[in-house]
Amino acid sequence: MKPSPFEYSAPASLEEALEVLAEAGSGAKVLAGGQSLVPLMNLRLAAPEHLVDLNGVGSLSEIRADDGGLAIGAMARQSTLERSTLVEELVPALAHAASHIGHFQVRNRGTVGGSLAHADPTAELPMILLAAGGRVTVQSKARGARAVEANDLVRGYFTTAIEPDEILTEAWFPRLEGAAGWSFQEVARRHGDFALVAAATVVRLDGDTVADAVIALAGVADRPVRAAAAEELITGEAPSAALAEHAADAVRGELSPTGDVHASSEYRREVAGVLVGRALSEAAQRAQAGS
Amino acid sequence: MSELTIPRGKHVGARVNRVEDPALLAGEAKFVCDLTLPRMLHAAFVRSPYAHARITSIDTSDALAMPGIEAVLTGSDITAYPLSDLVALEGLQKTPQPVVATDRVRFVGEAVAVVVARDPYVAEDAAARVEVDYEELPAMTSVEAAMGDDAPLLFDDLGSNVVFQTTRTFGDPDVAFASADRTYRRRMRGNRFVAAPMETRGVLADFERASGKLTVWSSNQMPDLLRVTLSAVLQFPAQKLRAVAPHVGGGFGQKMTTHPEEVVVAYLALQLGRPVRWIEDRRENLLAAAHAKEQVIELEAAVKDDGTILAFRSRCVGDAGGYSFNQASALIEPWYSATLMPGVYKVQNYEFEVLAVLTNKTPIGPYRGVGWTPGHTIREMLLDEIASDLGLDPAEFRQRNMVTAGEFPYKACVGQVYDSGSFIESVDKALEMIGYEEFRAEQESARARGCHLGIGISPYVEPTGFGSEAAQQQAEFPFPSHDNATVTVDPTGKVTVALSVTTQGQGHKTTFAQIAADTLGVELEDIAVVQGDTDTSPFGMGTYASRAAVIAGGSVALAAGEVRQKILDAAGVLLEIAADDLTIESSRVSVKGSPGRGMSLGDVAMAAYWAPTTRQEGKDPFLSATRFYDPKATYGNGCIVAVVEVDVETGHAQVKRLAVVEDCGTVLNPMIVEGQVRGAIAQGIGGALYESIVYSETGQPLTTTYLDYLLPTSTEVPSIEVGHLESPSPLTVGGIKGMGESGLIAAQGAVVSAVIDALDPFDPEIEELPLSPDRVLRSIGRISG
Amino acid sequence: MGKAAITLTVNGAEADGLVEPRRTLADFLREDLALTGTKLGCEQGVCGACTVLLDGQAVRSCLLFAVQAQGASVTTVEGLAASEDFDALQKAFSDNHGLQCGYCTPGVLMTTRALLDTLSSPSENEIREALSGNICRCTGYHGIVEAVKELTAAQA
Repeated sequence: MKPSPFEYSAPASLEEALEVLAEAGSGAKVLAGGQSLVPLMNLRLAAPEHLVDLNGVGSLSEIRADDGGLAIGAMARQSTLERSTLVEELVPALAHAASHIGHFQVRNRGTVGGSLAHADPTAELPMILLAAGGRVTVQSKARGARAVEANDLVRGYFTTAIEPDEILTEAWFPRLEGAAGWSFQEVARRHGDFALVAAATVVRLDGDTVADAVIALAGVADRPVRAAAAEELITGEAPSAALAEHAADAVRGELSPTGDVHASSEYRREVAGVLVGRALSEAAQRAQAGS
Repeated sequence: MSELTIPRGKHVGARVNRVEDPALLAGEAKFVCDLTLPRMLHAAFVRSPYAHARITSIDTSDALAMPGIEAVLTGSDITAYPLSDLVALEGLQKTPQPVVATDRVRFVGEAVAVVVARDPYVAEDAAARVEVDYEELPAMTSVEAAMGDDAPLLFDDLGSNVVFQTTRTFGDPDVAFASADRTYRRRMRGNRFVAAPMETRGVLADFERASGKLTVWSSNQMPDLLRVTLSAVLQFPAQKLRAVAPHVGGGFGQKMTTHPEEVVVAYLALQLGRPVRWIEDRRENLLAAAHAKEQVIELEAAVKDDGTILAFRSRCVGDAGGYSFNQASALIEPWYSATLMPGVYKVQNYEFEVLAVLTNKTPIGPYRGVGWTPGHTIREMLLDEIASDLGLDPAEFRQRNMVTAGEFPYKACVGQVYDSGSFIESVDKALEMIGYEEFRAEQESARARGCHLGIGISPYVEPTGFGSEAAQQQAEFPFPSHDNATVTVDPTGKVTVALSVTTQGQGHKTTFAQIAADTLGVELEDIAVVQGDTDTSPFGMGTYASRAAVIAGGSVALAAGEVRQKILDAAGVLLEIAADDLTIESSRVSVKGSPGRGMSLGDVAMAAYWAPTTRQEGKDPFLSATRFYDPKATYGNGCIVAVVEVDVETGHAQVKRLAVVEDCGTVLNPMIVEGQVRGAIAQGIGGALYESIVYSETGQPLTTTYLDYLLPTSTEVPSIEVGHLESPSPLTVGGIKGMGESGLIAAQGAVVSAVIDALDPFDPEIEELPLSPDRVLRSIGRISG
Repeated sequence: MGKAAITLTVNGAEADGLVEPRRTLADFLREDLALTGTKLGCEQGVCGACTVLLDGQAVRSCLLFAVQAQGASVTTVEGLAASEDFDALQKAFSDNHGLQCGYCTPGVLMTTRALLDTLSSPSENEIREALSGNICRCTGYHGIVEAVKELTAAQA
């Protein structure tokens, strides 16, 4: 388990990184925290010809309030999400979900941008981005910066809308405001494992009824998905245990997950419903408490 | 003083910190992967991607042409006899395994070529460039498929994939079943799980051409057997072969038998005349190092309405993988399941059928609690079912059928003679520790609020101190299973204890020093324990089967006793007093009752070596003795009680509490005993809930990384409370019984039973392990398909 | 793919190397600097045996390339063993039987060091969670957890 040979560049600025990446061509890969890429390289399941290491690009690590939300530099470490008061204040679900990523030694290196660009279908961060309705900024030397909305970002298993010459530079999460509550639920085989199924919900209340709801899931498809039918079903209704159950069934109805060695398709469908039910109840309670 | 008695001074039985710890904590301890030699080369294996195939051609030219490559060898380039098992049980077919495949591969991961390079990275580069053409053959991934009428054969000349089949009957099970009030039957597919030591396997071999000496450092539990095996398969003179097991990072049985890679690396060193090192990576360890445990077991019980178990009938089918593995054989699992099935219960009518079947999976080898683990688990599952059906408390039902204190020695129907024990008492104590009555109340109130708790009770008896008699009692043939120790007091009065058993973390350098210290009357720091090197240790079998404490402990006590007598004899001459009137304490030999009259052990030793006047006619003055010990069969016992919580909506089960009572006879060092028990239980928790080697239908292993093969971590293993009972063996030196495997043997059953108990309101149906969330939901019908 | 010259601080002393970019930090420490206390258990970032401190933070040295440590400060178990407070660490682990074969131990100690630096008065659950990224196959974790509890209590 030793990686194949590769060229290595450690640019000191984003401009330089974009330039190196453009020149290196399609065999190049961006190295962020390396907590997903390097295991694949050690197993020789990935063998990039050229690694462009972003760890020297200091400008990409900033976390700041911006545009009514939270802007997080791509190289911000996952461990900083757990400790940041700004994250806790603006997007609490993100702080909470971050603590479920691997183990703390992995989060000390793993980055927000790296997780989003890697697009593991069971990963926490792409699902939270989707649930929050956020977006990412990607940049290339040739075409400059562009925004990619969360629901456009992931295109399939470990596949994103990011072009080979582009670098994900920043993620933006809208602030959770008003009478809104969130919840994050996950089932994993062991503490710190990738989720078998995870669910993130945001419920916004208008008086006693649901004004709008977002239900996002991981581990149930080739990418993080929203359960649109269930979202629609609960909108305009008063939150209740029965409604959550109803939504859970609707979620099960709209999913056809693929099974793997850890859990079957049937399991993922069933438990997606369970977690959505729990997540809706918790999010509604938080919304009621916050309003 | 009888030879069976050992002196109990301040060391034996004390909670002594380990002398091993400082070097390990400082990162100074050297494992095979830490050893380097000048001009050392690195080996990497090319392994079959197919479960079953013919090798049609191998092209090594691209790999050989790469810079930094010293050699690329295929199976036909290697002159070595194939490896085979050493089990002399009639009817067992032999399946010789070439150390590198020549024309046929029988499991994914079987080596087909080996690359030697100046750098391990480059070795892997070149391994990827070896071109092997295969003609794929149909793969069989279950015993059912391999036993089918049209099943393709793994060994054409055997005519069947079943390499062993036999039936044994004890008492009259037919009559017992016919006269029973009720009969019960259960079938279980025990999961394939693996030792997964933190240190993978590794070998470093060095051949000095001029002297003709071959040294092989290997992460191995049985260096003497490794040496003898290498000598045999390589036709290399044993007197010039040295095998060394340096610090070994866990073995748990996987590192007992000689693996093909050990032969290959030794061969490479011989051929190339340069040191060659191979360090297994984790993927290889999960792919190609011996797997363990997988069996399909059916068990029936005949029971009276009053809860008396009249008889058992079992059928244990071992899934052996591609070869009946070197040394241990395909029987390592099903035979031991079958023969110990009655366990702690007084069942004298029993019939078993044992089959061992080849499949296209990694060969099965020994792993802590061989065979006993799945057999124990299914028996305890069946007993829970019976208790529930009869409306009896599961603890009381078990105790009603157990061998009682007054019945030892008790001869089990298969032939084991339980020398002593505390079967019933250990259950009582474990239940008391867990608070059984309170738990039942808590369980009821928790259930009312939708929280599902369960308890599992798992009493065990474990054959320990595996000597020839124990081997005879378990395996029907007296596997020559003994060990030796040499105890030497040097002229300065300091002590060296040389052992033939090896350590993989069990703390031998501490426990055996404790025995020697009390026998010789010296302090621990006066003693050095050496082991794991065939040049400096006496011959012996090594470490496996919970035997080291009994056999090495016994041989150290015997040898140290003999040396003590020599010291006393010499001191008697010097002090002009009868040796019997002398004693040794804190390295001082003195007259009993007159501590002022004496001399230091160093002075006595000095004189014994260099003053001819101390010598006595007919006595060997050398302050050294080597003693052989092949103990009588002895059995440890105990009971594990586990409490779990199951989320019946997600299927997630978590062990909340665990209590264990261990009776291993005389306890040498309670801290080490507790450590062994807890570590083994963690592995049992793994086997119950997390660990499983999974294959696809085409024989592709799907669990070759630590992301897919799930070992329990500190968040999955609860704090484990350990209680001790001591029923010293009347048959062994010091009453030592040994232990180490029981935690794994019994914990899987305890946890599985606890999950079933938690799911009781939902009538769970469980036939396969481990109890993953998926399997839990399936068992209660929440999902299907 | 040429080699790169690197300079970093390892256990307080300057260390130089000429490495292929693909050389992992773990291999650089073990093979090039002969600091073999750091162990490899899975080379996938799961088992934690290779845990070292990189600029004071616990990281997996099997998932870092040596070239990435250019200019950084790395502490391995050998550095820890030379530190002032190692005696307390050693005593706690030995007294509580927090190791058996010892192969995972260097990684466990580095995690423990990081935990002691970041958490004050952690609960047993917090300790267990912090240790969950270090797999031990021998001890069942009991002795490790007890040792860390003792150390955190002494620190509080």
